[in-house]
Amino acid sequence: MKQAFKKLSPFHVDPDKVWADYDLTALDFEPATVSEREDMVEERKSVSYWSDAARRFKRNTVSMVALFVFIVMLLFAFLGPALIPYDYSKQYRSAQKLGPGEFSQQEALVKSIEDDVDCMYATALQPGSMTALDARDYYFKFKGDTYAFTLDEKLADAVIILQGDKLSIVKESQINNGTITGSTPLSYTSEPSDSAKELDVVKSVFPHMVGTDSQGRDLLARTMYGARVSLIVGIIAAFIVLIIGSLYGSISGLCGGAVDFVMMRFVDLIYSVPEVLIVLLLQVVLKDPLQAWFDSSDTWFANALSTLGAGIVSIFITFGLLYWISMSRVVRGQVLMLKKQEFVTAATALGASNGRIIKRHLLPNCVGQLVIMTCLQIPSAIFLESFLSFLGLGVSAPMASLGSLCSDALGTLTIFPYRLLFPGAILTIILLSLNLVGDGLRDALDPRLKK
Amino acid sequence: MLIYICKRLVAAIATVILIMAVTFFLMNTIPGSPFLTEKSTPQQIELANQKYGLDKPLIVQFKNYLVNYAHGDLGVSLKMQEGTPVKTILFHQGKFQLSVRLGIIAILVAIAFGIPLGCISAYKRGSWLDGFLRVLTTFGIAIPVFVLAATLLVFFGVKLGWLPTLSGSLTSWKAYIMPIISLSFYDLCYIAKLTRTTMLDAINQDYIRTARAKGVKNRVIILKHALRNSLIPVITVLGPMIAFIIAGAFVVETTFSIPGIGKYFVESIINRDYTIIMATTVILSIVVIMMNLVVDIAYKIVDPRITLSSSDE
Repeated sequence: MKQAFKKLSPFHVDPDKVWADYDLTALDFEPATVSEREDMVEERKSVSYWSDAARRFKRNTVSMVALFVFIVMLLFAFLGPALIPYDYSKQYRSAQKLGPGEFSQQEALVKSIEDDVDCMYATALQPGSMTALDARDYYFKFKGDTYAFTLDEKLADAVIILQGDKLSIVKESQINNGTITGSTPLSYTSEPSDSAKELDVVKSVFPHMVGTDSQGRDLLARTMYGARVSLIVGIIAAFIVLIIGSLYGSISGLCGGAVDFVMMRFVDLIYSVPEVLIVLLLQVVLKDPLQAWFDSSDTWFANALSTLGAGIVSIFITFGLLYWISMSRVVRGQVLMLKKQEFVTAATALGASNGRIIKRHLLPNCVGQLVIMTCLQIPSAIFLESFLSFLGLGVSAPMASLGSLCSDALGTLTIFPYRLLFPGAILTIILLSLNLVGDGLRDALDPRLKK
Repeated sequence: MLIYICKRLVAAIATVILIMAVTFFLMNTIPGSPFLTEKSTPQQIELANQKYGLDKPLIVQFKNYLVNYAHGDLGVSLKMQEGTPVKTILFHQGKFQLSVRLGIIAILVAIAFGIPLGCISAYKRGSWLDGFLRVLTTFGIAIPVFVLAATLLVFFGVKLGWLPTLSGSLTSWKAYIMPIISLSFYDLCYIAKLTRTTMLDAINQDYIRTARAKGVKNRVIILKHALRNSLIPVITVLGPMIAFIIAGAFVVETTFSIPGIGKYFVESIINRDYTIIMATTVILSIVVIMMNLVVDIAYKIVDPRITLSSSDE
């Protein structure tokens, strides 16, 4: 380091040398040209607040790992369902109570012949009541070709297989140790009739990686879906808190005086209410009226909410009623502090309007705090939702959240522990990573707080 | 001091009345009559309404409700133990006592382990032990109670078979272990984290440097000078802690099948037995609010630097 500095510095004088040893010519004493001067002055861009914060955040290994884990969880919840062929709500009658990686008897049977065929339609692998095919016209598509055929009688416990250009029906009794012992050929055309029904063919049997539940629903698909519900609930609830809390807090802080006093006493009052109890009470009481409203109202708003379900909507309502308190206190504190700063006085003296002061001076200075609070609100909302769902409130079947999955698994915990441990682990990872990201954000956005 | 306590008492009573008003309002928004069953005729409902004073104007009903609660009359159960007074169910069947015992032990455990762990972590700052404890406490704050309880149950109850899976009425000491761990773990970790932070804060203060300069032993500095001052913020979290313990009790009692007030509350919620829900909410809210009051007063007694006149934090 020192060596490099010596070379770079034009002013450095080696004390061991005498002046005559330096090869100095008259040129060395000429004034520097513009380009030379620019080379000398080190270019340093002014660093904005956000890039500075980003730099600090990136330097924090724990937060970066947590952010990475959280992104993985987001992908798991939102992209994951596209990667596995199972649906969170579809019940596979043959595949109930399977352990991680296990196949049901029929799946194993179908799997054993899958290497020999191009594609197949297996009645046993269809969800719910679709396990049998009625006698009618069907068609399916495979590699760009259409195969249309007619069934003369009802078909159950069978596999329709395509081998080369041969289509045939294999009864389950005709499969022995993975080899096909007999089949009935099926004639087909490439032009399906108008009444034909499309079939979903299976190329390979996908394992139930973490097993299935008692209704034969794939647990991995349900956990992905549950994680999605939990994350969406957490994010929406955090935004509700952000909007209500920051509006309330900034009005209280800006107005000051009697308005502030009354508003803050109200906040104190709500603050001393034990939230969990009131939340439970609200969950019970709101459910029926909300459901009645969903059933009677036909506006897009009611329809949108009814897809979420009464349980989740009442979680949002409780967040809107009780959980904005700490947010409003923080925002009020910030606004009160900023209001007295010199730059606000200067702006007022220059004749800036109230709106401009709020927009240009107060809000940008609060943003850091708002981001931190909102980010830390998400895990707390996810936690509350899972807590309620675990107690049998919150979301109801066939919808799932991580909490309701844990709750469903509790009854059979001693026999199928993985049913609780897997969604529980995902929930813990999500909460942990969000907490750590929030801590990292606080350190990055508000370095004064860092210890 | 007295003025402050009076002020806080008034605020606490106001909060309790607010909670009662909210529960009363919610009770009346529930569609249908509590006496409506498949067999009941309109006359029977009317008679029942008259008997329980439900035909009077709302404001009179609210007054009666407040007076009844003040006299300890919490109404009768509507579904789960039909006709039995709620008071008998909650207090005379050992439910409340069981939960209180569990809660107090959990709080004591959280304090007894949390503070020393925080001290060790601060004292050995930067060591592997500190690192381990920090990871453990961060994890402990994130893991939901029910995941922890179920994981313990699976490993120690089912896989290893060391501890009973059903704790029942907590007759043996073994039955206590898992419920207490699950109930106190969050608070234990929170207290340990907080103690570490405040302890590190205290260590950097001038009076510690003075004590060092005087030649006081390191152990004495930590125990006498740093710990005492770092405990003050810990006291403030005791209030919210009780609310957490109550919330945790709902889950823990359900998971370990302990017939306490928490489990009964959850069952009453699922069965929609409104009078029990209301009574339990009001009672537990009063417990939490009163504990908050006691903790706040204790906080101001312990730390004389805090002025008692202002109600701001």
